[in-house]
Amino acid sequence: MEVEKKNWVGRALPRKEENRLLRGRGKFTDDIKLREMLYLHFVRSPFAHARIASLDTSAAENLPGVICTLSGGELAPQTQPFIEIGPEPFAKIKDYPLAVGKVRYQGEPVAAVVGESPAIAEDGSELVRVEYEPLTVVVDAEEALEGKSLLHEEAGTNQVWRGVFEYGDVEKALREAAYEVRIDRLHFHRFSSTPLENNVIIAEWNSKDDRIYYSCNNSFPSFAIQFLAAHLRVPIDRIRVETFDIGGSFGIKITSYPQMAVCALASRKAGGRPIKWVETRSEHLTSSAHGNERTFRDTRVALDERGVITAITSRHIDDCGAYPRYEPLGCVIWSQVFPGVYRFRNARIDFMQAVTNKCPVGPNRGYSRMQHLWFLERVIDICAHQLGIAPEEMRLRNYIRPDEFPYTTPNGCVYDSGNYPAMLEVAKRRIGWEEWKEKQATARNQGRLMGIGIGTTLDSGTNNFGQSQIVNPGLPYSGNSQGANCKLDIYGEVVVAVGSCPQGQGHETTAAQVVADVLNIHPDMVTVRTGFDTERNVHTGFSGTYASQFAVSGLSAVHGAAQKLRAEMKRLGAFALQSHEDDLEFGVGAQGPEVRAKGSGKPISYWGLANLVNANSAALPPELYDVTLNCRYVWRAPFQVPDQQKKYGNLTLTYASQLHIAVVEVDRDTFLPHILDYVAVDDCGTVIHPPIVEGQVFGATAHGIGAVFLENCVYDAVGNMLTSTFSDYTPITAMNMPNIKYDHIETPSPHSYSGAKGMGEGGAAPVHTLSAALQDALFAQGVIIDDSFNNADRLYRALVKREIGQGKELVKVEKRR
Amino acid sequence: MAIKLGGEFEVKRSPEEVYDFLTDAHKFAPLLPDFRSISVTDGSHFTVQLNVGISYIKGTADVRMVLAESERPKRAQYQGQGSLPGGNLSILAGFDLAFVDGGTRVAWQGEAQVFGRLASSAGGLLEPLAKKNVQKLIDGLRAALAQAV
Repeated sequence: MEVEKKNWVGRALPRKEENRLLRGRGKFTDDIKLREMLYLHFVRSPFAHARIASLDTSAAENLPGVICTLSGGELAPQTQPFIEIGPEPFAKIKDYPLAVGKVRYQGEPVAAVVGESPAIAEDGSELVRVEYEPLTVVVDAEEALEGKSLLHEEAGTNQVWRGVFEYGDVEKALREAAYEVRIDRLHFHRFSSTPLENNVIIAEWNSKDDRIYYSCNNSFPSFAIQFLAAHLRVPIDRIRVETFDIGGSFGIKITSYPQMAVCALASRKAGGRPIKWVETRSEHLTSSAHGNERTFRDTRVALDERGVITAITSRHIDDCGAYPRYEPLGCVIWSQVFPGVYRFRNARIDFMQAVTNKCPVGPNRGYSRMQHLWFLERVIDICAHQLGIAPEEMRLRNYIRPDEFPYTTPNGCVYDSGNYPAMLEVAKRRIGWEEWKEKQATARNQGRLMGIGIGTTLDSGTNNFGQSQIVNPGLPYSGNSQGANCKLDIYGEVVVAVGSCPQGQGHETTAAQVVADVLNIHPDMVTVRTGFDTERNVHTGFSGTYASQFAVSGLSAVHGAAQKLRAEMKRLGAFALQSHEDDLEFGVGAQGPEVRAKGSGKPISYWGLANLVNANSAALPPELYDVTLNCRYVWRAPFQVPDQQKKYGNLTLTYASQLHIAVVEVDRDTFLPHILDYVAVDDCGTVIHPPIVEGQVFGATAHGIGAVFLENCVYDAVGNMLTSTFSDYTPITAMNMPNIKYDHIETPSPHSYSGAKGMGEGGAAPVHTLSAALQDALFAQGVIIDDSFNNADRLYRALVKREIGQGKELVKVEKRR
Repeated sequence: MAIKLGGEFEVKRSPEEVYDFLTDAHKFAPLLPDFRSISVTDGSHFTVQLNVGISYIKGTADVRMVLAESERPKRAQYQGQGSLPGGNLSILAGFDLAFVDGGTRVAWQGEAQVFGRLASSAGGLLEPLAKKNVQKLIDGLRAALAQAV
């Protein structure tokens, strides 16, 4: 087979995963059936805040087919509370996977029933009798901070974390401003992800070897096992986690470790029989995890005569639901994109986070940054409209300029590359900016509500976990790393294993592209073992799939492992071919992949090389005894530990950027917003696989559009979640999607070996863009878009009932000179 | 999810007769919609079992009732706490009685608070259902009071 000598990276190859997944041959956790498997069902709290007066599982235990039950009271003495990431006083709270003593959100598990079938377990759960004494519910973060009703008495407060991020000279900039714009309140709503596959866990606490075996779809298993080992009081090496194909996560499956703990404990109680738990859609919506809700208070913006922002101050209140779990990491992660895409140097953000009687939050696509980026885009847009500056011009005046990259932000992050004005130009051209401006003018003359909005955003990828020390100096995390293994197996097959757990991101394909380039073979000649498995020994403490990083961390690890393998193959080849290493070349010959001597053309196949190490080793000279052809490589990101006091340092390695433009019209009769046109322009540096990138952009765009118009986690005053089914939560489907025009530019990252930047989260660009388009449509009506959720009902309340979004109350402009 | 309802009606019975009827669990409880059974603990405490059927959620609800306020013949107020398939509920039902020419004016206030999956999944159905059931209760009450007390 002749292989064209050309880089495979950057080519639109058929995805290796497609054949399996499109034919229904994927292997998902729920496909696994084990002998003597039992099924678990959770008993969940109907109350958002209540004391558990009594809990009686006896009737359930007497139901034929029920094997055992578990309650929080029973579980607590066997375990330790989960590790808290945050500092005192919130580190004092006791977080167990089943409620102990009280419940803090509707849907919180209070007991578990294990049965011979899912139906028996569910029937049994309805026989568990729980007496509750309701307590005062608090569903608003600002109200929670008043502390009138404490969720965790041991902490003595509902405030999880607070910190002031201050850079430059804010007061001076405010004094010298030509304009000061004050915005009373903005609010980023709570929404979630709706992966096709909910959480699924199979746990077996094997009584023979006292190890715990997990098959699951957790998307950050190396994080989960650290929490589980401490909680279950077992050495971490006794926990094996395997993941397989995963039907989407978007970050939400990172926080399934509490349910993993319950399944393991249930297995132990059931004599080591495997336990399966398959989450229902309602369970997923009410009690897996939601994205962070955030309120922005008392914003002051200083601007010069031209509308260039010179300072911003604000108070941000984040709502993390009933238990912090992955929080308070979100209290610092937003600062990876502190100034967004803008050049202002003076800023003070007073950031605080509170618990409320709602589902705990978890990382959700665009985690913590999207809320902040939306805030900044609202600030830019509101200021532009208030000062009468065209929003596109406002952005051009404030963008970080292309010649300023690498750009160090006020808080020390280093933006690797970018060209926001060029993206704006591409987007305007693709959407037909001038034509739409003309159509808009005509529409407005007809009394129609049409708006054109721009959203410019960032997708920061490959975290520096040292930022966790900004929220808690005692944490032992910093930097970032990823492991990969590349080997020639005994018969010479190239096999790659990575520590990621892809959920549709095409890791098999892209890893094969990278290895194929290193070895000059076809990607089909590379077998990639995806899915996490602790027993492969390729993971590090950061392994998983999250935070837009595989293109950098994962593929850098794969590249490093392939380079190590290539080097070993060269040493072996030089010995076998009696040649010099520099005279060898890699390619594909008549019998497949080979290494050959350039001069003589004499080859040795991969099988021949592998045979020398594995089966014919007596022929090897001692100086080659260290060659294993089984090369593990750990890639480490070049980070420093940030300055905890100044909250200063580089928090992320790459910064992909997105610029979207939307044309929206609000129907004057129904108040339904309609997207008339939409363009998404992406810059993720060097593109490794164009269709995968395009697919990620489309997915992130769909997620964002759904968030703005359809998806909202609504709670009533007593903490009932009113959107717990797809009838009420209404996730976006293909039926709601407009046609998306897609384009991209490439500004290669100097921070990754290939120039690629992590991408896929998309910075929630549609949320910013559609808010801006609605703002443009409704500004003349006196409406300020002050919330990220804008369905027809909200627009009706703003335009007709004048209950919300009233500009005169929300925004004040002071002209100083 | 709180559902608040109220209203008034008149019956040709004295306030004392109406009060005695309302505070007699064996007479009052069977008028509750979808009543199945009653278990009386003492003069002011009883538990009623009701059939519940809201869309696909079907089963029985055990509601513990207490006569929390009683001032013969002016006022009676019940408080109830119960569990039902997919949730819990609390009930407040008050009756203020006033003598009018030839009978009694009954001013009533009801408040139901529903918690849990029932409120989450069937929230939109609860208010019309509550209105229908309360109307059935009031109609039943009027009919019963119109007959022999």
